[in-house]
Amino acid sequence: MGIKKVGLNRNIQPQSLTEKIFFLDFMKGLRTTIKHLFKKVITVDFPFELVEPAPRFRGIHGLRNVDGTEKDDFQAWVKKLKIKPPEMGETRCIACKFCQAACPVPEIFVIKADKLDVPEDHPHHGLKVMTQFDMDLSKCMFCGLCTLACPTICIIHTDVYDLSAYTRRGCVLDKETLSKIADDFVARRGKEKYDEKSQWPDWQKIWDDADKARAKAWDNNPPKLGPNYADQQ
Amino acid sequence: MSWITLDKINELKEKFEFIQINENEKGFHSVELPKENLKQFLRFLKDDPDYSFKMFIDWTIIDHGAKAEPRFQGVLILFSPEYKERIIIKTWATDETLPTLTDIWPGAKWAEREAWDMFGIKFDGHKNLVRMFLWETYPYHPLRKDFPLKGHQEVELPSLNEKERMDQLEGLQNYSRMHTALPTLEDLEITQKKRMPNKKSQVVLNWGPLHPGTHGTIWFLFDMESEYVQDCDIIIGQLHRGVEKIAENLNVQQILPYTDRMDYIASMNENHSVCVAAEKLLGIHEKIPPKAKYIRTMLAELSRINSHLLWLGTYALDLGALTMFLYTFREREKIMDIFEGITGARFTINYFRVGGVYADLPYGALDAIEHFIKDFPTRLSDYENLLTRNRIWLKRNVDVGVITEQDVYDYGLTGAVARAAGVPYDLRIIDKYDAYSEVEFDVPVGEKGDSYDRYLVRIEEMKQSSRIVQQCIDKLRKMSKNDPFFFEPEDKKMKITIDGRGTKLFKGEVYAGADNPRGELGVYIYMPKDGIKPYRFRLRSGAFYNLQIFPKLMIGRPIADAITILSTIDPVVGETDR
Ligand code: SF4
Ligand code: SF4
Repeated sequence: MGIKKVGLNRNIQPQSLTEKIFFLDFMKGLRTTIKHLFKKVITVDFPFELVEPAPRFRGIHGLRNVDGTEKDDFQAWVKKLKIKPPEMGETRCIACKFCQAACPVPEIFVIKADKLDVPEDHPHHGLKVMTQFDMDLSKCMFCGLCTLACPTICIIHTDVYDLSAYTRRGCVLDKETLSKIADDFVARRGKEKYDEKSQWPDWQKIWDDADKARAKAWDNNPPKLGPNYADQQ
Repeated sequence: MSWITLDKINELKEKFEFIQINENEKGFHSVELPKENLKQFLRFLKDDPDYSFKMFIDWTIIDHGAKAEPRFQGVLILFSPEYKERIIIKTWATDETLPTLTDIWPGAKWAEREAWDMFGIKFDGHKNLVRMFLWETYPYHPLRKDFPLKGHQEVELPSLNEKERMDQLEGLQNYSRMHTALPTLEDLEITQKKRMPNKKSQVVLNWGPLHPGTHGTIWFLFDMESEYVQDCDIIIGQLHRGVEKIAENLNVQQILPYTDRMDYIASMNENHSVCVAAEKLLGIHEKIPPKAKYIRTMLAELSRINSHLLWLGTYALDLGALTMFLYTFREREKIMDIFEGITGARFTINYFRVGGVYADLPYGALDAIEHFIKDFPTRLSDYENLLTRNRIWLKRNVDVGVITEQDVYDYGLTGAVARAAGVPYDLRIIDKYDAYSEVEFDVPVGEKGDSYDRYLVRIEEMKQSSRIVQQCIDKLRKMSKNDPFFFEPEDKKMKITIDGRGTKLFKGEVYAGADNPRGELGVYIYMPKDGIKPYRFRLRSGAFYNLQIFPKLMIGRPIADAITILSTIDPVVGETDR
């Protein structure tokens, strides 16, 4: 660890007379730019060509449904919060509001759970279901804290980044929309991102290395992905 | 640790009876004294060879609440370049006034204006005590504890409210019709007049706030005699969002995404500062798992390269070299891809946490980084071929905006600006936070402190950063995938979570930070008792203090140099305004 001195006359020589007369500095620059003239195009032709976001990409939120890949303690959480045990295809949300508590801008969320209106002898008597889940994503900063707080891995970030709308109302997503976004995302990319317990596995890749558009942005010479650590496969 | 020792403070006590020592169990000792004796004491600290606290770091206020008497306390942080030590000096602002320090450190000028703006503290002897960020006719002082977080909503602004086919959309999380005060054109005119009360010559040129050359929203006033600048002032605050106020109402993990939005070009480093400071307050910085330390060091350096690439591209673009801009953005794209893959975001990253990082590296991350680092030196030499010895480049940069060593100390300049002036001030070496004590690198220092030196220093920093990144990769490769990446406290009293819920800070105070691409972002946290929300959360922005030297450098220079000087100081408005 030391100190390295830089400066004109220290590590950079001033221009010599020959350089000045023959414009060698410009020649050197031109050589660099001309070299680049013969390289392949590196710009991605958006929107005709799209780079697929990384699996971890923090895009628009989604609410996952029960699909058999819940965490082991999912049933315990459902019981604890007195939620009607969800069937396949119903939302995983147990209305615990942990996401709202973790969020720096809690006004984003409107979460409500209502008691089921069933007779007393019904097995679901006294249990609740989540009935409202609105998110105003125009206030969201996509920081990811809510997804880390969710005990059931219900609220997730998807790879959708297009949230344009004509009115502000268009940025308020309700629970049906959010569920649809998540279902669509999990069907498309779930295998890349989650293991069979909905956790992030250690084989989750930094990005899909077969993506042609991303390879272009890497000078048509993308890195070959391999394990990080000594004991990783 | 780079802090004054208790012995040395005790010696001070022998000399000056009026000082009172606040011992801190984490080692961040401070001294307290009455404001009448402040200046005498500071002059001694500055000039005495045994102390020589020459360098100004920060000067701010704590509001102890409307009921406290006295209510406001001034907090001064100084650094001694000889002994590599810091000290905190506190003094009570009775009658809401404090003596000005501008005659000891000219750099206190903006700090005092900020204190006036945010807390309403007057400084006796300050030459032109005007507001820093807000406009002159604004009636409140927002960082006072009795100012509500949402402000006083008193202007009706129906246009903000949404209408669809002339219907009011009720509910639906719509905005309220009332808005906090906004400046009108007259207000801005008054502000401008107050900032530059005496015109020296015929023309006052307004540059910015919306000019591509100002790299954001800075409003410059140049008082010009033909092409030469006689006087200059800067109006900032167009991007002021009150991050400190917001931070005082959140837990520490929730603050991190807000710091992303300060220096949005190097958001990784902004997060780093807050993490380091909070960890030091909790006393866990040494215990962070090595994996997290190396990941953080590696990514912080990549982020430095990323930031310097943007600086180089826009700087060259401003001086007329468009090609550079295209080349550096090509390399930035790769770093952003790496960030996106590892953290989930390209720009506003929020990956570091107090206690580590929020997730382990994904498969292939180290390969991607290594691939980039291997390729980077050839790219860098391309840039140097284009610029370093180009005659136009030399003409525009050499001997422009010379900063001396004295300026560095007086104005509290940090980062590449200080190093180019020959001061090897680098927190990575002084504080040795995270894994910086275990990696090899050199600190580049310049000779003259002109724009050209600042250019060379930053180019060299990129080379050194890639060296650090390579060493971190080698270290990380040897680790196991099961190694922890987040700190698990053994202490029952301590609670730290990745998502931030319930994360507690301990009683005490701390000043720490990280060396960011734009200078030292220091974080001062003051906690009168254990709690979740920081009581006072001060962000000492490197870009803010670095920008302060700009008017001094501009005086007597032609207007065309404004571009060069501003680019090589390299402020980012998100951070200067906070
Ligand atoms: S991403 Fe962040 S800001 Fe957005 S809802 Fe989640 S926690 Fe809130
Ligand atoms: S944290 Fe998850 S389960 Fe709880 S309310 Fe939010 S989305 Fe639903």
